[in-house]
Amino acid sequence: MVKPLLNRREFISATTATGATLLLNACKSDPSPKIASAGKSSLNTINIALIGYGEEGKVLLESILNIEGVRLVALCDIWDYHLQEGARYLSKVNNEVRTYENYEDLLAKEKDLQAVVIATPDFCHAPMTNACLKAGLHVYCEKMMSNTIDGARSMVKTMHETGKLLQIGHQRRSNPRYLFTKNRLLEEAKFCGRLTAAQSQWNRAVKEDFGWPKKYELPASTLTKYGYKDMHQFRNWRWYKGLGGGPLSDLGAHQIDILNWWLGTPKSVIGSGGLDYYKNHDWYDNAMIIYEYPLEQGVARAFYQVQTTTSAGGGYYEMFMGDEGTIKMSEDPSICSIYREARATQVSWDDLLQKGYVRAKTASADDAAKVDVRETAQLAEYEIPVFFNKPPHQPHLENFFNTIRGTAKLNCPGDEAFSSEYSIHKANEAVATQTRIAITPEEVRA
Amino acid sequence: MANIHQFNHRAMATHFEVRIADEERTYAAQAAQAALDLLDKLESYLSRFRGSSDIAQIAQLAPGQKLRLSEPAFACLEIAKRMELATLGAFSATASALQTQSCLPSWNLLPEELSIQCERGRVQFDLGAIGKGFALDRMAELLRSWDCPSFLLVAGGSSILSGNPPKESAGWSCGLGDDNTPQRLLLAHTSLSGSGLAVKGSHILDPRTGRLALRQNRAWALTDTAAESDALSTACMVLNEPELEQILAHNPSWLIFLEPDGIDRPMGSRVLPRKPEEV
Repeated sequence: MVKPLLNRREFISATTATGATLLLNACKSDPSPKIASAGKSSLNTINIALIGYGEEGKVLLESILNIEGVRLVALCDIWDYHLQEGARYLSKVNNEVRTYENYEDLLAKEKDLQAVVIATPDFCHAPMTNACLKAGLHVYCEKMMSNTIDGARSMVKTMHETGKLLQIGHQRRSNPRYLFTKNRLLEEAKFCGRLTAAQSQWNRAVKEDFGWPKKYELPASTLTKYGYKDMHQFRNWRWYKGLGGGPLSDLGAHQIDILNWWLGTPKSVIGSGGLDYYKNHDWYDNAMIIYEYPLEQGVARAFYQVQTTTSAGGGYYEMFMGDEGTIKMSEDPSICSIYREARATQVSWDDLLQKGYVRAKTASADDAAKVDVRETAQLAEYEIPVFFNKPPHQPHLENFFNTIRGTAKLNCPGDEAFSSEYSIHKANEAVATQTRIAITPEEVRA
Repeated sequence: MANIHQFNHRAMATHFEVRIADEERTYAAQAAQAALDLLDKLESYLSRFRGSSDIAQIAQLAPGQKLRLSEPAFACLEIAKRMELATLGAFSATASALQTQSCLPSWNLLPEELSIQCERGRVQFDLGAIGKGFALDRMAELLRSWDCPSFLLVAGGSSILSGNPPKESAGWSCGLGDDNTPQRLLLAHTSLSGSGLAVKGSHILDPRTGRLALRQNRAWALTDTAAESDALSTACMVLNEPELEQILAHNPSWLIFLEPDGIDRPMGSRVLPRKPEEV
């Protein structure tokens, strides 16, 4: 008998024997909002605005358009090139919007909004989020919360003062594969045994600077007004102190948030890194850090590296290592894997399979009366039994909108995200000072 | 010697090239990067190997179910549908489904809601014979918005899309066949695609019969857009000459070349672009 351990939020498709077919059917039966079926229940429409239509804004928009009961009514970006591109795109998908250069104008004129989605450079997040919350709107704000600890703290304070929702865009926290693996495999099945270490990374290859079509260059006065020295800085803000938080913030935030989500708050961080490759960046271009996590059974150390000069090293992932097994997680399902130590004999793979915690990679023969004899077979391989085929940000946005409707609870509210935010800023400090930085539980409370 | 900058990238299981002429190098590199970023984004919508792509999600639909699509996926499938009709069914974006299903799945696009509806079977798209061309068309749009009109885009060596020719040149010299083939045309604002059996062997299914296409060894299609030439060159592999003539009668902007005659016996009423020796 399979224990009914799969809850709806996890979208789980686990089965004891039949593998892919049932997995597929289970997913088909999921009432995905993107699948437009006949006789759909009518949902209250949430009017929203999207502030920031750069690369991340485009990714979020595509997911927003998939979600039923959410209507994008306004789009804001200081760069007309992006703004018009967004308006044209939305027009093609039969979604006309009003456009704004300035978010304050948007807030002044749009009187029928319930929420905003913010996908602007990091240094804009705190002032925009605070203004939107104070205007009575719920806010989904991309990570990082802010390029400063004070900025992030102010967002949590405003969230509490206004009573409005603030979801931070750590989208893996709503990813059914992550939810299942944390709740079921790691915590319930104790798959890793005692966690002793973690290793994670996100490495990216060298790329050209972001450019811009010459005819769409912003006037110097506009750039100054919005806090940029020049067009190059506007397009490449992530490299500049005062605008972004560097690679540990841009890329590392994704993995470090998962480390904190699964392991708790670290008690210290050491780091090394430098600006060794690029000539025109403010921030370092590579960093390696180690956090110490005080777990119940002892300390676990977590190594993280971010490189912006090579994509080598196997992609982006978080690997949790224990004395009985290892779980390697990634937003890219092809990178995910699970491994058991030889000493982990108390619970067998078959037990885990029976309970739906894992799935055999190759389906077993349908007919138990048959057997094929040939060369020695390889050991069976197992994987995390979650089939998930939505765009990666969609479940996190759905979680936000469902919380507005009162049918869910935020998966990454501002005060919880602050713990990761603080840990990342402290890692930057450790890299800058080449020292061990202590982190206390009190500090990470906003 | 023309001032041409070349940038390479891997996507859609092949290599892409962006060549930009008569532009300052840094600007050309940034424009090319923007075009290649767009290519990666398009792949995320169109690849059947990405679990969250539109195409992978469509394959999960049961008959009667609908799915809202991203604009690029919808646009690409619109062209695919049009090309299926225009080629008398010799091109089909679902031809590979015949490997697992007894007949082609049936699907319908719903423009008013930017959705696709599965009507019959499992809608397993493989956009390998149109997606690369579609990507080149979108990349060209982007390069024009960057005021880089002089470009040549190459997808896997099987589809090219040319913009303005380099200065003081009558066109981009494009060969029909292997490297440095003498069969060359000077192209501008034109796309040329080739299909054949030389690299992958017999791998193209005739969507009308489910059998392997063996009619041609190699075929090329010259059209205005790369999505069209990509799909048309594949269709040419399974069409006989009377069928080709019928198709070309309705599409005067298309030109087709078959082995062994190649450019010596083009099919279609479009004027043959000039050859290098004619300049």
